Amino acid sequence: MFRINFKIALRNLLKNKAFAAINVIGLALGLCSFVLLLLYIQFEKSYDRWDPELEQVYQVREKHHFGSRDNKADWQITNDSRVAALLKKDIPQFKYTTRIKGAHDCSVRTTSAEPVSMSGFRYSDSNFFKVFPYKFLLGDRTTAFSNLNSVVLKEHTALKLFGTSEVLGKDLKILGYVGDKGVVYKVTGVVEDPVCPESVDFGAIVYDGAQNQDPENLGRTSYCEVYVLSEKGIDLGLLNLTIHKSYLNFKKSFPDFDPKVNEKIKDHGLKILPIGEVHANPPFKEGWVDQIKSVGALSLFLLVVSIINFVNLATAKSVQRAKEVGVKKVLGASRKSLTWQFLIEAAFLSFAALFLSIVFVELLLPFFNSHFDLELSLWHNREIFMIGLELLAILVIVTIMAGIYPALVLSSYRPVEVLKGSYTGSFKGSKLRYGLVIVQFVITVTFMICMGIMMQQGHFIHHKNLGFDRGRLINLPLNYNETFAQRLKKIPGVQYVGTTTQVMGNVFNVDEEGKYKQQIIHLNMVTVSMETLAALGVQLKTGRLFSREYQQDTLNSVVLNESAAKLFGGNCIGEQYSKKSWDNKEYRFKIIGVIRDYHNQGFDKTVLPTVYKVTQQGGSASTNNLLVRLNVSDMRLVIKQIEKEWRILYPDNQMTYVSVEDVFKKELKTNDAFIEMIACFSFVSVFISLMGLFALSAFVISGKTKELAIRKVLGASNIQILNLLSRSFLYLVFAANLVGWPLAYIFASQWLSGFAYRVDITAGPFFITAGGSLLIALLTVGSQAGKAAVSNPVKALKYE
Amino acid sequence: MIELKNIEKYYANKGVKSYILRHVSTEIKAGEFVSIMGPSGAGKSTLLNILGMLEEPTYGEYQFMGEDITSLNERKRIDLYRNHIGFVFQAYHLIDEMTVAENIEAPLLYKKIGGSERKSRVADVLDRFNMVAKKDLFPNQLSGGQQQLVGIARALVAQPSIILADEPTGNLQSAQALQIMELFKKLNEEEGITIVQVTHSEVNAGYGSRILHLLDGVIKEDLKVNQTV
Repeated sequence: MFRINFKIALRNLLKNKAFAAINVIGLALGLCSFVLLLLYIQFEKSYDRWDPELEQVYQVREKHHFGSRDNKADWQITNDSRVAALLKKDIPQFKYTTRIKGAHDCSVRTTSAEPVSMSGFRYSDSNFFKVFPYKFLLGDRTTAFSNLNSVVLKEHTALKLFGTSEVLGKDLKILGYVGDKGVVYKVTGVVEDPVCPESVDFGAIVYDGAQNQDPENLGRTSYCEVYVLSEKGIDLGLLNLTIHKSYLNFKKSFPDFDPKVNEKIKDHGLKILPIGEVHANPPFKEGWVDQIKSVGALSLFLLVVSIINFVNLATAKSVQRAKEVGVKKVLGASRKSLTWQFLIEAAFLSFAALFLSIVFVELLLPFFNSHFDLELSLWHNREIFMIGLELLAILVIVTIMAGIYPALVLSSYRPVEVLKGSYTGSFKGSKLRYGLVIVQFVITVTFMICMGIMMQQGHFIHHKNLGFDRGRLINLPLNYNETFAQRLKKIPGVQYVGTTTQVMGNVFNVDEEGKYKQQIIHLNMVTVSMETLAALGVQLKTGRLFSREYQQDTLNSVVLNESAAKLFGGNCIGEQYSKKSWDNKEYRFKIIGVIRDYHNQGFDKTVLPTVYKVTQQGGSASTNNLLVRLNVSDMRLVIKQIEKEWRILYPDNQMTYVSVEDVFKKELKTNDAFIEMIACFSFVSVFISLMGLFALSAFVISGKTKELAIRKVLGASNIQILNLLSRSFLYLVFAANLVGWPLAYIFASQWLSGFAYRVDITAGPFFITAGGSLLIALLTVGSQAGKAAVSNPVKALKYE
Repeated sequence: MIELKNIEKYYANKGVKSYILRHVSTEIKAGEFVSIMGPSGAGKSTLLNILGMLEEPTYGEYQFMGEDITSLNERKRIDLYRNHIGFVFQAYHLIDEMTVAENIEAPLLYKKIGGSERKSRVADVLDRFNMVAKKDLFPNQLSGGQQQLVGIARALVAQPSIILADEPTGNLQSAQALQIMELFKKLNEEEGITIVQVTHSEVNAGYGSRILHLLDGVIKEDLKVNQTV
């Protein structure tokens, strides 16, 4: 029985090759995006799952605003290093706490080789491997950091540096920053690279003893990440309350402690987070779960569109199967067995679609990975069994969603109706089918409009005046060194050299509380050197930029940006404001110039009111930016010259640099990738919907052959026939447009609200989409209707 | 075998009853070959459909092999289809996606007959109908007469006690029609299968043993056929 039903299904498919193909390809496209999404979720969920012991490891999060993007407090990963000791003292459940510095690039020399630039070298205290259960290939977990100046490498680092992992006891010299003399470390261990991605990523853990101590001076803070290993079975909520309380007590011991801290309680805090949840909860931005929601909804929509196609085609085709159903029923088939037959057919098609979608996914993955900077895989996935199960679940769900309605419609045919003479049939469920076509087109139209608006926004931010000149500007990872700067300036083609704490790609915001006419003003403070603003090519509005001609510029002159100037009441050249440092000294600053706002971090946030200072009074920070403005078009020659100078001064480091133009492109990449994805979704959804419309119109028209023939005999012209057939479909598409417009408006404005700088929504995309969708629908239906219109009516009327 | 008592069938439309069948009472005995005749719209097909349980009478009593059909549930009815009733249609109604052999095999599948017996029965029927060479062809590769032969073969293979045929020769040329009628007669006489057919043709009716004349839903005549005609 199964075999014969299978044969019938196959023969049916072969008889309607085009429809079968449309059905399967449509569904496969819908499934493809879904499978990709599944792989992505799988990947994101795999963070920090490489050892069961990790369930007892927690990340400490302190709420503060130091170094945040917009000077607002957030639960940051970097903490005051003192909290490690605090937690160890106050919370008995914690077995170990460890402090680790963030990763930064450094130069590494093994005995013979040239210096190698390495990333991911991190300094920690002696407890790191007591907290994290890394598997030691060589060396010992407990004694790796018994001696100072030890380093533990990950296997891939060892291979990169030495070409072998047998490196126990070997020496390597690490230069932490450019110009560093360097310290020799002994390799005391090699750990395995975990199979899944890690939040606490590193290439090597360096132990120099410095992280064991906290700064003695209470005015200084060493920021680092803190992790704890706890006992099993702790109550996280309760424990976090205790931690918070102990943290507030600790804060009160500081001389600059603000007694109002209780009022600002929201801005301070300490908590722990299971390491498994760290990746999903990054500070300052949405976690992947939130980010994926929109994409998830999109691929779900796409799947719905393709399932609708499936249902539509299957029910439309049911007329052809009516006789089979009737005959089988009088031969003794029960309704249940028929329902099963059609469900199994749907499952068969879904399976074919799933198979095809996996082929698509395999073909797409390399492109997808490189485009979105991911490492997804299907066949080599560790969780292939899990994914297989999920795919099976999808298969069942899709089969039921796509197959149940057609199966019920088909199996409900009454033999007496379908077996009387030759059955051409009334269209069962045609209202539902039209409804589904509308839903399909609503989704498509919404996609198209959103895509249009997003592309406008994309164009807008790509071409927006940034307020500075990003071309021919390069950034070397160096702190300012007057000798080096002077030597660079002698190179023909180098115009300006300067340093800054804030440039696109490496932004470090420091909140500064100033007092102006008895009012507190919050500014974002940026430390620059004399030529930096000129090097950036910012646009001066009033006053002047820093200059060596003015002695006081290195003391107390400041330049504001426009947003900051507004806080001072607009025209504020020559005005002064004061600022207290942490040890209660008061400094006064004089405003000498106002520049236009310039962008240095995306377009989602407004430019902060910013003050630029050359002076280091009242605090500064070194963030390794050396900006070099070139004034020749061929940058390569000049960069070679710069490299020559670099080698002389820093022989232990490879020269690296980034062009600010590239950094800008990178800033926009995530956004561009998102827009491209939406574009992709739109085209696929348009494609599927049109395929569906094509097939459906073909069926509707084939069911109307007799009606058309009669109309022709009665004198209808070809144009009238064409009009008659196309009109109802155009109404559908038009109705879909009406529903799609407000939806698209809501989605697009939601998306745009994530940008501080955005385009206005204009009517353009709406009208273009409406016109476009009607036109292609007309062409699709017209190609079918045209054929019907010119056919000879005698053929259709000959048989009854 | 079949007993109809006071069968009525009507459609109510806006309170007006339009009758298809009225006061139809008759009895068909096992081994009879009955032809139902009458002008278009007389209710022939409806009567046949009621006999075949494809339609239900609005009113009246129908006993099939001693069982009251009107109170039968779906499952029992399907059992009757499987074991006792074979249908032959004017438009043949072969399943287009099945070959000749598969079409003939289909009712046996629903009767849950084992694979080897199915094969031998299908081979047997193919042999009897001289269609062995055509067994792997699809219906649209056959002529109308051949398709109807397959239709009859399919009805016979499940060894039914009664064959219900709705204008079995309506779409056929006269030579082919003759062949089909000869076949029916042979089946009736040699194997004792009860046959009820609907027909317009006096000639076809002449092959049977009894003629029911229907006019406007009422049995006007019930004649024994003189076999010598």
